[in-house]
Amino acid sequence: MAAPGNNSSGCWGVPDVYKHHEQRKICISRPKYREGRKEKAVKVYTINLESRYLMVQGVPAIGLMTELIQLCALYGAVEEYRPLDEYPAEEFTEVYLVKFQKLTSARAAKRRMDEKSFYGGVLHVCYVPEYETVEDTRLKLQDRRRYIIRAVQNKAREREQKEAVNEEPTSSDTATTSETFIARHNKASDNNNTVKTSNISYYSGFPLLPLPPQEHHYYRHRNQHGTIPTEDKMGTLHNAIIDKKQEQAQVHKSSSSSQTSSDRDRGTEHRLISNQSSAAVRLVPRTTHLENRKRKMEEAAVHSLTDVTRNNEPLIGPKLPEPPKLDMEDVSLNTTVSLIRNTMKQVELVPDLKPVEKKTKPRRRI
Amino acid sequence: MNTGSDAKLKKPEMWRKGSSEGSDRFEYLQTLVTEFQDTDSEEAKEQVLANLANFAYDPKNMEYLRELQVTDLFLDMLTEENDNFVEFGMGGLCNLSMDPECRDIILQSNGISLVTNCLSSQREETVLSAITTLMNLTTPSSRSEITVPAILQCMLRFSLSESPRLRNLAAVFLQDCCTEEQVARAEQQMQGQQTAVGIPLPKD
Repeated sequence: MAAPGNNSSGCWGVPDVYKHHEQRKICISRPKYREGRKEKAVKVYTINLESRYLMVQGVPAIGLMTELIQLCALYGAVEEYRPLDEYPAEEFTEVYLVKFQKLTSARAAKRRMDEKSFYGGVLHVCYVPEYETVEDTRLKLQDRRRYIIRAVQNKAREREQKEAVNEEPTSSDTATTSETFIARHNKASDNNNTVKTSNISYYSGFPLLPLPPQEHHYYRHRNQHGTIPTEDKMGTLHNAIIDKKQEQAQVHKSSSSSQTSSDRDRGTEHRLISNQSSAAVRLVPRTTHLENRKRKMEEAAVHSLTDVTRNNEPLIGPKLPEPPKLDMEDVSLNTTVSLIRNTMKQVELVPDLKPVEKKTKPRRRI
Repeated sequence: MNTGSDAKLKKPEMWRKGSSEGSDRFEYLQTLVTEFQDTDSEEAKEQVLANLANFAYDPKNMEYLRELQVTDLFLDMLTEENDNFVEFGMGGLCNLSMDPECRDIILQSNGISLVTNCLSSQREETVLSAITTLMNLTTPSSRSEITVPAILQCMLRFSLSESPRLRNLAAVFLQDCCTEEQVARAEQQMQGQQTAVGIPLPKD
């Protein structure tokens, strides 16, 4: 999505302190592995930028306050709202201030409503912490601190539970400790590539899973993305995971091949996925190609009158050179043979686009 | 409120997902750190730094960022010439310092003085992040280092600023981190001073 320029702040006379309301230019120079689903500007979010107060600009001035608030209420309870007459607005639009009961609601509303069309206009939604009172700010910080501490404690507890289970006869216990050791050890030597590849092997705490059928890989990818929380708390993370998988595939392709065989033994899940997907890129079309040709040959063979076994030869393996012209010493047989040959030629000429497309679709989505 | 996800985590499948997801995250963050260290492009560094600072906002990532020594990375940014580096680094610290372990790392690495220097930045976001970080860094043992007169006077000036955010944060700092006597003393000292000693208000 192109960045609509809200750069007309000059003629709006917005005070300098409110620069954070402006949309910044979208970053176009990101390398693929860290590109999100949606192009975004380079900006850091802290608790100071966020607020329960949102400002909604670009609301068409046709008496839509109720509709707007109803839309906001989808994301959480709205405590207060009013039109912001004091804020400069584009012609035929209005600006509203909306105060949510919870910061998380405001966050969700901002994410979902920003840049969306609304009754013919495009909404620009931003946080307006400057409307907070001192008490609002204090509570915001306290809530945030409490949330973090609770989340950190939960994570520690979850890790303890995991380690308790892993104490059963698997190598994962030593794996987790050695992983930490290696992480720290390699950090000291500042050799990040080594850390990356060796950490891959150690992070698997579980036995090798059977490889799923190739088509399902991409769905597994997608399912994994689905389970990752998409709440805005983590910024662009949920976008990043998708591209990270691609990047992993690239990284694993380029990483030393000597690692590959040993790592296959250890059985790291995501490594296998990336190996599989890179292999799948090559294998799938060919298999389908052959299968499809086989199917068509069989269909043609069904219609043919000659010995089935003779027709089986070209069905196995890649395209064979045209069979030598055989004179059956009978006119009708020769006619039949040439008819069949022509049919086979036509069948071979048909490009196998359809199945390939089917296979590429899931890949394109990723 | 993560009570729902706690229940999910008790299932073995979720553990697996959790462990592979966690290591995925760690790897990705590691890749970012590597890019930051290896690239020559200032622009790429800014993007990656902003990414890392944003990831620091989610408590799920804090442990990994700690392990990757990103806390130190952010601290290093505070003395950079590039104002964006300072702003993003300070934002990252503001996010990370909410976590008690990160807070301790920052305190041990001379964080208070580095962050205090950022109070004189011309960028409002940097200053706001610095104030919040100082509040996060306030523990019974570090309090005396943070509530020194110079900082208190700075906060008093901020509390008179045109910017509501700056005013609010400074007010919360003065109310929550200091005693009334400390504030009163600082006020007296300020009135006594004729010259503008101290930390200028940010311009933007």
